[in-house]
Amino acid sequence: MSDKNIRFLVVDDFSTMRRIVRNLLKELGFTNVDEAEDGQVALHKLKTQSFDFVVSDWNMPNMTGIELLKALRADAQLKTMPFLMITAEAKRENIIEAAMAGANGYIVKPFTAATLEEKLNKIFQTLNK
Amino acid sequence: MSNFGGMEELLQDFLMESTELLSDVDNKLVELEKRPEDRALLNDIFRGFHTIKGGAGFLNVTPMVHLCHRTENLFDKLRNGELKLNPEVMDVILNATGIVRDMFDTLAQGLMPGDADAKVLADLDEVLAGRTPGRTPAAPATPAPPAAAPAAPAPSTDGGPDWQALYQAIQPGSTAPATPVSADQAPTPAPEPATAAQAVEVIPAAAPVPVERPASKPMTNKGGSGGGQENTIRIDTQRLDMVLNLSGEIGLTKNRLTTLRTEILQGSHDPNTLRSLDESISQLDLLVSDLQNAVMKTRMQPIGRLFQKYPRLARDLARQLGKEVELVLSGEETELDKTMIEDLNDPLVHLVRNAVDHGIESPEERLAAGKKAQSVVQLTAEQVGDHILIEITDDGRGMHADSLRRKAIEKGLIDVETANSLDEKQCLQLIFLPGFSTKDQISSVSGRGVGMDVVRTNIQKLNGRIDINSVPGEGTRISISLPLTLAILPVLVVRACNQPFAVPLAMVREIITIDSNAIQEVSGKPTIVVRDEILPLRTLAGLLGWAPTQKPCFGVLMQSAEKSFILAIDSFVGRDDVVIKPLQNIRPKGVAGATLSGDGSVVLVLDMEDLLSASDASGSNQIVRTSEFVAN
Repeated sequence: MSDKNIRFLVVDDFSTMRRIVRNLLKELGFTNVDEAEDGQVALHKLKTQSFDFVVSDWNMPNMTGIELLKALRADAQLKTMPFLMITAEAKRENIIEAAMAGANGYIVKPFTAATLEEKLNKIFQTLNK
Repeated sequence: MSNFGGMEELLQDFLMESTELLSDVDNKLVELEKRPEDRALLNDIFRGFHTIKGGAGFLNVTPMVHLCHRTENLFDKLRNGELKLNPEVMDVILNATGIVRDMFDTLAQGLMPGDADAKVLADLDEVLAGRTPGRTPAAPATPAPPAAAPAAPAPSTDGGPDWQALYQAIQPGSTAPATPVSADQAPTPAPEPATAAQAVEVIPAAAPVPVERPASKPMTNKGGSGGGQENTIRIDTQRLDMVLNLSGEIGLTKNRLTTLRTEILQGSHDPNTLRSLDESISQLDLLVSDLQNAVMKTRMQPIGRLFQKYPRLARDLARQLGKEVELVLSGEETELDKTMIEDLNDPLVHLVRNAVDHGIESPEERLAAGKKAQSVVQLTAEQVGDHILIEITDDGRGMHADSLRRKAIEKGLIDVETANSLDEKQCLQLIFLPGFSTKDQISSVSGRGVGMDVVRTNIQKLNGRIDINSVPGEGTRISISLPLTLAILPVLVVRACNQPFAVPLAMVREIITIDSNAIQEVSGKPTIVVRDEILPLRTLAGLLGWAPTQKPCFGVLMQSAEKSFILAIDSFVGRDDVVIKPLQNIRPKGVAGATLSGDGSVVLVLDMEDLLSASDASGSNQIVRTSEFVAN
């Protein structure tokens, strides 16, 4: 199984949602979690601190999840940062957009801890190859 | 999906955050009416519904998910220019936000809300389909087609597999994360996920709620704004740190004092020790008042939380009455004790409604009077000294003293003689009488005459004052003045019958010396003319029903909403900030409680309104003798 100490950054403008994601991660044994309330704050944190995994909402003010993802992929240091997009946008073009921007995974709200675990494991597998 | 703990706590968080979000959305909707093409606004509103939907999904509040989903789609179309905003569409949207709010209330009571009103869902669907909503025979048209049911349990659980398949199709398994999928690969998987995507897209829209637990009695408390009072408070950590810091410093000063006490008890009375003692006590004095302030600040909330609900209220009411009203807010950042903010809601709602309903004329009347068709109601808040001043000003028809007087006589609230003795300012005060209403017809909005007296009572409960200014033809201004907090009461300490009493400083307008020559008798009662205003003179001893021990020398000009009078007292002690301790088991008339003065003696804090009514009620004290004031 994956290392439970890896450091997550949960990005969402809605604090309740950050807490939900944090709780779900905790349920899976991941307790090393920090939060950011939009893409801008997240980008700043990612550039100044060390993280292993980003779980981000799509729709946020200031800087959206997709903009954050693109910014990460364009950054020499952060371009391989694992990125799981969380969203309620259940549309095909959204998925394609996220995949093309380099998202490692895509999860639709609402989801359970089991779904999240499945997505995370899939990403870990790909990364470990 | 209750596989995350602390669901209730989460629900509280969600409600608090979403309620704020929804108020924000409400205000943006009012803005949007003015600038229907504003993309930033449309985006913000879209995101608001989107966010609420997301949270509701996790909490399994399916009816809310459905409703928000439709509204969100509607805004998606609006911001993409596929739909145009018109008043009918706006009404549908506002209805929807109202229902979301009702659902919050239901959730706050720990109940699962039932399905949204079918009519609203149908209207939303109509608008989404590009038709004009409304007059369709809504009732039968709605309850979601049962055909869709088998395909769709709650969207939550079944979303997974579809998306996984879709995701796999798009993301070639082994591709390194950094390499984006090449453009020509994208179309290939399209046909397959297309069905999946559609399937999922259909679900939230058409699925009937997989009947949530007995849908209890959710929609009963319609329109009940706010619901129960919340007992939690969010505090800026900086403010909390301040409290922590100060209590730490107080601890240090206490240590210093303990050391000094030991030294003094051991007999060292040298100037150095005494100076240190003096310094430490001064410092403690400063720290304690800082701490009081800091603690008070933790309870302070911006009044904007309250204000932001009103533009929508004014807008709805104006539309219902066919008036054009703009509610302009200012001073939303002004801070007030949280409990007071909650208690202010009802009075302010009433005043805003009154301004729109009674104060503002119809557009035709306004144009005829040479005014702009659109009226402006201003709601402002500001801190003035140690008070908060809230004002509601309209540019409507104003109030005529004579017609108020006539009305009050007609309703039998006052007799003709009293009416004629009232000046213009006092006539305005008549609207605070129970049972007074200027509207002949009872409307659903206001006009039932159960209003202004309740408003005033509520404001007085907060130790506040309410005043009216009105110029016929130009408008009305209602001012509410409130203390910053209820915890600490600024008082004036006075003496009568050799005993100190505290009177609330909020009621004190000025202090005068009583010259027995200036006392005039008007219909058998002693009065003094202060700047052309005839004011009755009452001795504190008399009000208490005690025998005066000396001729009163000073008068405190007291002003309450109802009346002004001069309270005659023997002497002053000074002003003080006190904490009122309620008296246990006994409740003497006219006494709000007791407090300790600096020298440790007990001081009674007077409740003037109560004292006046008590004295007026008991016949014996009603006779006010001028002789009390004249040299014996």
